[in-house]
Amino acid sequence: MKNMKKDRKNQGGMGKEISRREFIKTAAVGTAGLTLGSLSFSPFVFGAEKPIRIGMIQEYTVGATAYGYWLGKVSKAAVAKLNAEGGIAGRKVELVDYDTKVNPAWASSMFKKLILEDKVDFVMGSVHSGVQLAVFPLATQYKMPYFGGGAMAASLTGKDAVPYYARIHTHAKMQAAAGWKWGFDNLGRNWTFLVADYAWGHSLAEEFGSRIKEAGGKAQTILAPQNTSDFVPYLQKVDPESKVLFTAFLGAPALGVMRQTVELGLHKRLQRYTVICCTDGVGQEMVGKESAGAHYLSYYPRHASQVPKELQAYDKAYRTACGMTDDGKDAGDPKNTSTASHMWTMWTTPYMIKQAVEQSGWKDEKKNADFMKAFCSLKVKAGPWAPQGDLVMRDSDHQGFHDHYLEEVQPDLNLKVIARIPKEKLMYEAPVDLRSKL
Amino acid sequence: MVSNLAVAILNGVVWGLIMALIALGLNLIFGLLHIINMAHGALYMLGAVVAWYVIELTGNFWLALAVAPLVVGAIGLVLERGLLRTIEDKPLVTIICTFGIMLVLQQLVLTYFGGTARRIALPITARFPLFDLQYPVMRIAIAAISLGLMAGLWFFLNRTRYGLWMRGVVQDREMAVALGVPVDKVYMWTFVLGSFLAAFSGVLAAPIVSVDFMMGREILIMAFIIVIVGGMGNLEGSVITAVVISLIHGVGSVFVVPSTATIFSLGFMILVLLLRPQGLFGG
Repeated sequence: MKNMKKDRKNQGGMGKEISRREFIKTAAVGTAGLTLGSLSFSPFVFGAEKPIRIGMIQEYTVGATAYGYWLGKVSKAAVAKLNAEGGIAGRKVELVDYDTKVNPAWASSMFKKLILEDKVDFVMGSVHSGVQLAVFPLATQYKMPYFGGGAMAASLTGKDAVPYYARIHTHAKMQAAAGWKWGFDNLGRNWTFLVADYAWGHSLAEEFGSRIKEAGGKAQTILAPQNTSDFVPYLQKVDPESKVLFTAFLGAPALGVMRQTVELGLHKRLQRYTVICCTDGVGQEMVGKESAGAHYLSYYPRHASQVPKELQAYDKAYRTACGMTDDGKDAGDPKNTSTASHMWTMWTTPYMIKQAVEQSGWKDEKKNADFMKAFCSLKVKAGPWAPQGDLVMRDSDHQGFHDHYLEEVQPDLNLKVIARIPKEKLMYEAPVDLRSKL
Repeated sequence: MVSNLAVAILNGVVWGLIMALIALGLNLIFGLLHIINMAHGALYMLGAVVAWYVIELTGNFWLALAVAPLVVGAIGLVLERGLLRTIEDKPLVTIICTFGIMLVLQQLVLTYFGGTARRIALPITARFPLFDLQYPVMRIAIAAISLGLMAGLWFFLNRTRYGLWMRGVVQDREMAVALGVPVDKVYMWTFVLGSFLAAFSGVLAAPIVSVDFMMGREILIMAFIIVIVGGMGNLEGSVITAVVISLIHGVGSVFVVPSTATIFSLGFMILVLLLRPQGLFGG
């Protein structure tokens, strides 16, 4: 009998003997402990409603990758924070993301995959106007709420607007309204626009240029392909009477045109002014010390010290969560400059989805129309989820409004805020009314 | 008008010589190995990226200009020995293989170097007045270095034993084998030389265009146009065509919108292909 009992015991790896009964007891206690432990740390209960899935498309490869990197990173941080705070309406939030490859056709197929295969409830992302326009028909066909994340063509919430799309951030028309007058009064009356030859560049040249001309100034427009390497043929056409050079390109060509302007000595006779989109993700040290004196219209101060005092506490928490340093760099790579003016959109959008779900009583796609109405009526107060400050949505064209900033490059290459333009000054008459189309 | 023309001509020649250097490497590999090297643009980009790292470490552009092409040449050696050697006589397969290499190199650089464009400071910052503009001396230096390298390449191909072997293999591979030319090694060193030239031009162009993981994509298309118009396998043809196409674009930009001037250079290519399908200077 003694031997039989001994046989039932297993030899432990370190010479310690353990009986089957002891093993079962230990395992049961351990399992119970783990289960209780997970219950106490996770806000989500086993058997609860299925998670809410947010789909995302971003520019991870091919082009505009600095945006893809940062907007993707911020989205993930935002979803982690949402889940830590109890999810949306008690449901866990999951993020499913794909690369657009800056290719509208590819992005459309990914958008469809998100809807049909991944069964997402909402989609957000992409800084490319062409990509966003390409997925509009799918958003309309599947009544899929879609939220832009940095695309600036005015027409997205204008003549091309669709009912299931909303944009919480600025665009070319609003930027012109915010920035033309200051530039006209302080930099000069004669402007040259050297811009990328597609919708975004055209939009900026048209919106700023028309206002300059109306005010009695001169506006010359030079169009160059977005992938231009050598800008000399374009820069040599700048009108000798021009006082302001406004350039608009993305990524490497944006850096190229800024540097070649300096290379040709044009920075000595021309004031450089543009929207921050051209240099978000590009540190001024990349342009060189000659970038001092250039001006940018931005939508979020790059440096923490330049954030308005009443927003600094929210900004600090937001930067920590996103891994952005006080000087706007990647905490893990000080050479990597953030896209601070664009990436907050992916921080605030998930929170606004939460607000709209909880206000509209949304459970599934049957209430997508009610959800959109709720989303597009939101008034978000400055706070941990809105470090950029108050944000107001307009329900007629699904357009959001927030404050803008004028920043000047200092001799130490930091960006200093020299003016804050309140959102109230940027309101314009809604070009479309989508309210009856939902 | 005169000032714009002068700038356009000078800049056309300078940019044409940079393009010629890129196209030369591409053409050398095609002329001898009959490989349409889709990875050539990626090797150009890799040269700029390696140079950026060398400059970060040492702060010396000229050292980077010496080191980066050697590093990329070594990578070319590994690619030729490891991947291309076994498929060199299958042109279609080599296109797919080099296309794959291009994608892998681009994504590796994106992963480790990042997607943000980086700057390489101009090693020569002086400018000289040219009508309304200040023209950078660095561009003239780049053109001079390109010309010097091309002269060296001409000397290598026409005045050295290895160059003779390379020309011999192009003319008649079987005869070269029969005469004891180490064809296998000639193939290997040709690919290495092509990679070296791509990287060298990448380092030279980097201070002007900035360093970016996609910088080789657009350049590759223009390099192919130059090779086709100049005559596939014809090195002198590539140099002259690069300068001519660049001049057409530059001078055309004075009279029309620069974007439209691209139509002139593409129209020139179409015209050449219609009238001389073998290229301006023959293949």
